[in-house]
Amino acid sequence: MSGLETAMVPVLQALLSGVLVGGVYGLLSIGLSLAFGVMRIVNFAHGDMVMYGMYVGVVASAAFGIDPLYALPASFVLMGILGALQYRIVFRRFVGHTTLNQLLAAIGLGLALQMVAQLVFGVDARSATSIFAGKYDLIGPFFFARAQIVAFALAGVATILVELLLRKTQWGKAVRAVADNIEAAEIVGLRSQRINLMAFALSCALAGIAGTVMVTYYPTDPTKGFSLMPIAIIATTIGGLGSIGGAFLGGIFCGVIQQMTAMLWNSALQDVPLYILLLAFIAYRPMGLFGQRSE
Amino acid sequence: MNAPTLASGATPPPASRRRYGTDYRALILGIVAVIVVAALPAMPFVNNYLIAVTVRALIFIALGQAWNIVAGIGGLLSLGHGVFLGLGCYATGILFNEYGLPPWLGVWVGALLSLLVALMMGTMTLRMRGVFFALATIAVSLALDQLARHYVDLTGGDNGLALRFLGNSLWFMQSRTPAPFLYAGLVFVIVYFWITKWLLASRFGLEMRAVRDDEVAAAAAGVPVFRTKLLGLLLSAVMTSVAGSLYMQSYQAIDPETAFGLSQAIQLQLPALIGGLGTAWGPVVGGAVMIFLSETTNFGSTKLGIAGVDILVYGLLLLAVVMYAPKGIMGLFANRLRGRR
Repeated sequence: MSGLETAMVPVLQALLSGVLVGGVYGLLSIGLSLAFGVMRIVNFAHGDMVMYGMYVGVVASAAFGIDPLYALPASFVLMGILGALQYRIVFRRFVGHTTLNQLLAAIGLGLALQMVAQLVFGVDARSATSIFAGKYDLIGPFFFARAQIVAFALAGVATILVELLLRKTQWGKAVRAVADNIEAAEIVGLRSQRINLMAFALSCALAGIAGTVMVTYYPTDPTKGFSLMPIAIIATTIGGLGSIGGAFLGGIFCGVIQQMTAMLWNSALQDVPLYILLLAFIAYRPMGLFGQRSE
Repeated sequence: MNAPTLASGATPPPASRRRYGTDYRALILGIVAVIVVAALPAMPFVNNYLIAVTVRALIFIALGQAWNIVAGIGGLLSLGHGVFLGLGCYATGILFNEYGLPPWLGVWVGALLSLLVALMMGTMTLRMRGVFFALATIAVSLALDQLARHYVDLTGGDNGLALRFLGNSLWFMQSRTPAPFLYAGLVFVIVYFWITKWLLASRFGLEMRAVRDDEVAAAAAGVPVFRTKLLGLLLSAVMTSVAGSLYMQSYQAIDPETAFGLSQAIQLQLPALIGGLGTAWGPVVGGAVMIFLSETTNFGSTKLGIAGVDILVYGLLLLAVVMYAPKGIMGLFANRLRGRR
């Protein structure tokens, strides 16, 4: 191997790890983007749904002795139900415009959910044991954590399924109709409240599976919800608020930038370029990379 | 989509009552409250703990008044006002510790820094929909949080920054007892109240509220929308930063979580929200209620041995106010008065 190639190995390694980490960031973000795209709701409690999804994995592994990945359907259903409840109780009244009250309600809800998790599970970090945990694959000069490869694959599949659901099915058409023009959708006979409820439940269910996937290699604690939110927000904005595929690619983008910063500059400051990037996107390209709406 | 992004609901009170004559009952109530607070150290049964709590209430009222201007009157979704609080705290603290600069001067350095950061955030995001400004405020506070944690030499890192204590000194704004800060806090609250009152009565305040209620209509009526939003943000940022410097002198320490963390951001918002967004009295009433609630729950949670109950209370309080009383205590009050007439 020549000198240049040897020097390139760490850079490529950071790039590839970034893509893998970023795929999971994408999975965190698609639900957030869905709720914004359909209802203009910025759900700051989304991260807490992810955190509960992580605890589903912890409970599955600690109490039932099964791999967190087998708990994915349970996580999907449970968080979906929790999301539907949230919509019925809180977010129903905030559909349509992002208002200060909506943002604050989501933050308040997030705090309450966080404290409930703390009362139930305690403040200590918990982790789940997965068959993929601690296994590494060496491909050429690069190594990968197997749990992250699995997580990346699941994230990609979930994103494609949601995109297909929204684009190809009758239900997806109805969701997009309600998102575009709620009055017109109601005139043609769509039940907007029910459709919004389903979309919001789906958004939270996606957060749930994101958490359960993540907990296979990343421990959880009650504050994880809020600490994961910035990445999800940045990925969603970069990808274009409301775009599902965009949020996934935005997540990958974030992962790559994080890993590159950690390698080239300083791992303690790995998020700072992301915040600057977010500001730059807001100022110069608020529709993100893939958002269509210009307003 | 051209609807306003903030429906805070705090529509101005009927102009007839506001414009002609002063509300004497409120004025008298205010004067009595000021006298009672000022006389606290001389009263029997009042110990330093009670005075310290009152100081805390006054500081958070002042911070709430500053946030009220940007969010209540201006309708901007600022979720990261801790940025300006933190800049005020760190600027006065670092300048004093490193260079012995008295806080009387450090305040203005912090205010200038806050002004510059607000100017940058404002010019970058205020032309866009409100949600982008909200996201930007969060991004800036997170970035400053990470920077403050990293540059340990300057900021003390995670452990925070503690002021060098020199003993009682007016020149360095230090005191062993909380009583001097009681009067400083009182001055802040009165001045900020007066600024809010002036704003509500002035043409500029009217323009801010017009922009808040309907941006497009305001623009059509000739209001310079972007400039109005930006000036409102700058005013609020400077006010927050200056009150932040008082916070620093009173507590003598600051750390990244206290400056830029989420729970601090919420504590800056709650006074105006509880009391009533966009009103002059709202943050005053709300700040007092918030500190009373947080002290009682802290007391209760130490008795019960459960940590973090105050956070749960803040969360539920946020939810309750936003969902059931979006006009706050002042709103409930106004409704009852109107119902009686």
